[in-house]
Amino acid sequence: MFNILKRKNESRVLLVVIATGISSVVTQLLTIREFLAQFQGNEFVIALILFSWLVQGGIGTFFSQFYIKRHLPSAKFLAFLSLIVAVLPALQILLIRQLRDVLFIHGSSVGFYPTFAFIFLTTAPYALLVGFVLPYSLFVLRAFQPDYPGTNIYIVDNLGDIAGGAFFSFFLVYFFSPLQSVFISNLFILVATFLLLINSGILRIKAITCVCIALVIPVYAVFLENKSLLPREGSLVYYKESKYGRIAVHQDKEQFTLIGDGVPLFSNQNISNAEESIHYPLSQILQPKHILIISAEGSIMKEVEKYHPESIDYIELDPEVSGALFRFGLLKKIPGLKVINQDGRSYLAHSDKIYDAIIVNLPEPETYQINRFYTDGFFDIARKHLSQNGVLSFSMQGYDSYLAEPQRQKISSVYNTLSNHFDKILLLPGEKVYFLASRFFLDADIPYLLDKKNIKTDYISNFYYGNLTEDRISHLKELIDRTAPVNTDNYPQLMRIMFAQWFSKFSTSPLAFILLLSIVSIIYLFYMKKEEFVLFSTGCMEMGTEILVIFAFQIYFGYIYIKIGLIITVFLAGLLPGAWAGNKTANQYSHFNRASLAITDGILIFLTVLLILIFLKGGDKIPLSVFLVYGFIVSMTCGFQFPTALKLMGDSNPSVTRLFSADLIGAAAGTLLISVAIIPYFGIVWAAIALIVLKLVSLILMRSYKA
Amino acid sequence: MNKINRRHFIYSTALILSMPVAAHALWPLGEKKANATESDNIRGTIFKGDAPDKPGKWSHEALLYKKLDNNKVACGICPHRCLLSPGDRSVCRSKANIGGILYSLSYGNPCTVNVDPVEKKPLFHFKPQTKAFSVAAAGCNFRCLNCQNWEISQAKPGEVRHIELFPEDVVKAALKSGSELIACTYSEPVSYIEYMMDIARIAKEKGLSNLWISNGYINTKPLLELCRYIDGANVNLKSFSDEIYQKLNGGRLEPVLNTFKTMNEKGIHFEMTNLVVPGYVDDVEMVKRMCGWILTNLGPDHPLHFLRFFPQYKLDRLAPTPISTLENFRNIAMNEGIHYAYVGNVPNHEGMNTYCHNCKKLLIKRKGYFIPEYNLSENRCKFCNTVIPGVWGKNNNE
Repeated sequence: MFNILKRKNESRVLLVVIATGISSVVTQLLTIREFLAQFQGNEFVIALILFSWLVQGGIGTFFSQFYIKRHLPSAKFLAFLSLIVAVLPALQILLIRQLRDVLFIHGSSVGFYPTFAFIFLTTAPYALLVGFVLPYSLFVLRAFQPDYPGTNIYIVDNLGDIAGGAFFSFFLVYFFSPLQSVFISNLFILVATFLLLINSGILRIKAITCVCIALVIPVYAVFLENKSLLPREGSLVYYKESKYGRIAVHQDKEQFTLIGDGVPLFSNQNISNAEESIHYPLSQILQPKHILIISAEGSIMKEVEKYHPESIDYIELDPEVSGALFRFGLLKKIPGLKVINQDGRSYLAHSDKIYDAIIVNLPEPETYQINRFYTDGFFDIARKHLSQNGVLSFSMQGYDSYLAEPQRQKISSVYNTLSNHFDKILLLPGEKVYFLASRFFLDADIPYLLDKKNIKTDYISNFYYGNLTEDRISHLKELIDRTAPVNTDNYPQLMRIMFAQWFSKFSTSPLAFILLLSIVSIIYLFYMKKEEFVLFSTGCMEMGTEILVIFAFQIYFGYIYIKIGLIITVFLAGLLPGAWAGNKTANQYSHFNRASLAITDGILIFLTVLLILIFLKGGDKIPLSVFLVYGFIVSMTCGFQFPTALKLMGDSNPSVTRLFSADLIGAAAGTLLISVAIIPYFGIVWAAIALIVLKLVSLILMRSYKA
Repeated sequence: MNKINRRHFIYSTALILSMPVAAHALWPLGEKKANATESDNIRGTIFKGDAPDKPGKWSHEALLYKKLDNNKVACGICPHRCLLSPGDRSVCRSKANIGGILYSLSYGNPCTVNVDPVEKKPLFHFKPQTKAFSVAAAGCNFRCLNCQNWEISQAKPGEVRHIELFPEDVVKAALKSGSELIACTYSEPVSYIEYMMDIARIAKEKGLSNLWISNGYINTKPLLELCRYIDGANVNLKSFSDEIYQKLNGGRLEPVLNTFKTMNEKGIHFEMTNLVVPGYVDDVEMVKRMCGWILTNLGPDHPLHFLRFFPQYKLDRLAPTPISTLENFRNIAMNEGIHYAYVGNVPNHEGMNTYCHNCKKLLIKRKGYFIPEYNLSENRCKFCNTVIPGVWGKNNNE
């Protein structure tokens, strides 16, 4: 009888762990999207969110061992915590939306430290709690069965994570808004909690009441979805959560503005941008017949139409964006126009079509995804798709009267990169700096060229000579630093400059953060046991490799949502069989555990060397399946190490919490280190080498352990 | 101890149920505009211990400051009235207390020099179609979140590339470029007033006109000094709300209004610029109050420009101003009695043209920086002979 109860209790607790995994991964993904819509969408912010989340999870886990020293673990308390877990995500999302304008000035962007503080504080309650619940679930099970293996919790938690990741990436994101997704994903935990409550001897009616009360907030939140997104200016006429981000169209009087992740992207009244984007390049070409436009500016098609081209291929990654642009009159449908919803670089790499002009209207290269359009690799592809007199055109943030240093470096880096592929480059200063590149002479007298073609414009014809004097144009060219680094796919130096510009805009420096982090890390590493270091480095390796593989995949194949989603999923999925196999091996061949750790460390090093070879040899011939298998093996190896290290540490409650923490904190460190510290400063090859070095240290430590 | 008892249950229920109530209470329902409860004063602060060790080549003893005990000094140029201990740098970043003497640090080292059409400033009633030799040094006493020139206004003189150009060199360069005007612009000339005054004094001797493009955040005494040399100005009236001034600009409204009054009393030609920031400055009632104040205190003749806002610098998450808002404001201003109201930052808008306030006929047609039609004879309307306020030179298109 006791055994039946025990097993029933175990299954209910494990259900709670799985449901918590689903809730936590869905909430994490939604939180990242929410922050990207409310704050700067650069790589730094993405890294900060993941970092905060993982560190807080680690802290929550770490503190659970102190809690159980004073309080006996109980299933009822676990159920109570689970109810809070179900309630907090909706509150967290609403809090992020609501507090943004309370703490910061409406309409303004926010610098590094306030962003970090905001992320840390708003995610803390949920992330700490989820971190706490995981080991606490184990302690509840051990109250019944003292020798209950910690690895089981690790495995079951991973199962929940995989389910949550796949559930969101392949289902929720397509059909539901964020707060609806929160509601749906937390239903599992409410059901699991209900079962746990009943199993803990709570009356069914009481259990139902508890769950219903906890349901109030997620349900209520669903009705606040649109209200919480209403703009202060004008009205919200369109809102859609696409798989790439949040799209909204605001109407203020007669003006429609498309807002992408909180940033005004296109407006139907920005004539000057539309004219500059189209006429600067097209005026240079005798008769542009075939035009490729990668992403749009509001009202550009009206300007393109003046040239009567035969074909205009307009590429927009997100079909929701192009759909909204046409629907609200921000773009006009003109003869010869073909809309292609695909990654621009990937399209170009696989297309045979030759264009007279390739016009790129992408935002600043703040993310690795966008950076791919400002690299040596992209310019090479673009040149191959241009006709003899064809022109490549794109713009970057400009300046009014003074070109500040980080921006000078940024423009210089792009100029130097571009000059490797084009003989003639014309830079046109202004609110945006336009880059025109061709094999032949480019004329800066745009109004004259337009006049010759009898093309009328409102802005260029009347303002160009006052704004773009010969002095200004030549002064910009003189300011180009020919020693600025070339921006390549594998060594995205532009990102480093973008980070520097972001910090300079807010007159801050990340140094204090780095210093604090270094001190905390040193203290943490000093008190760490060797097994913990192995798992710390494994967490680092898992996240670091995942970032590198996604990064490489994007370079070679473009931003393909479903495939990147698959890569992330296999990186989660591999942990499960790895942990299972590790558990079996650790139990059956316990005297080999140290050797197992060393061997798996060696495998991880070998796999990373393989990755470096892929980077160096070019991975564009490698099919997706190889990336998937690779990710699965890395993650399986990482998963294998957890039970092995746990066995070595003794599988006691403090050991479990310390190892869980080490794994999470290592993952946080890997995220921050690889994405914002090593890749932009040293390139992806060195990022991979850094992971190898970390694992070598782990190997040496294991060796000394043996000694 | 670890069982959930009745009290725990009641507490937990109350806690959970109270969450939506709390969330609802926090919700900004019905609140659309900036308000006092979320006020943030972004006023700048002095930079403690940030002054150079000793005065450099471009250091010049500041005007109108007071020496106090313990080598402290009080700057008297702008309403911030920075009180600086030795080693401190002012809010505008351009002045520093070095050994008990207040120095201007950007005298003779502008960071940018350009030749612009005067219409770009914008000045529509001041020698149309002339070229303005435009100079700026680093620094500003405001912290505008939407600053177009933040790279220099929010920088210290030592942090930017600069060109050595002492006042007499500026005048020489202006003459060489064929400019009739010298404009101190882009950043905030109040922060380098010593340099600006010396340029203006020499320029005046050489027959050039001087323009001051400013936020108007200056004390009366230095302004009266400046008025001796300047011929025209465009001063921002960023909003007609002290709260918005504190929140978006880091300044106060009253001193700016005093600047307008002083300039009006001194008979300086000036035009006013109001950047219509959506969600903050696009308030019809506020514009009416602003026009009322202008009419009462300055009269109807000073041109008022309503400029379209575009996302800039830190204020980059707001959409541009709808054009009809600007048109509406222009109509309001003219209906209230302001003779010349313009729409700016909208290419080829009819609101850029000048119409006679008496006969309503077209005086100046503007197409960007060009003037295809000009119907003034000296300073009078060609049609009804009414004197048109402004400083009218020979139209270069004639």
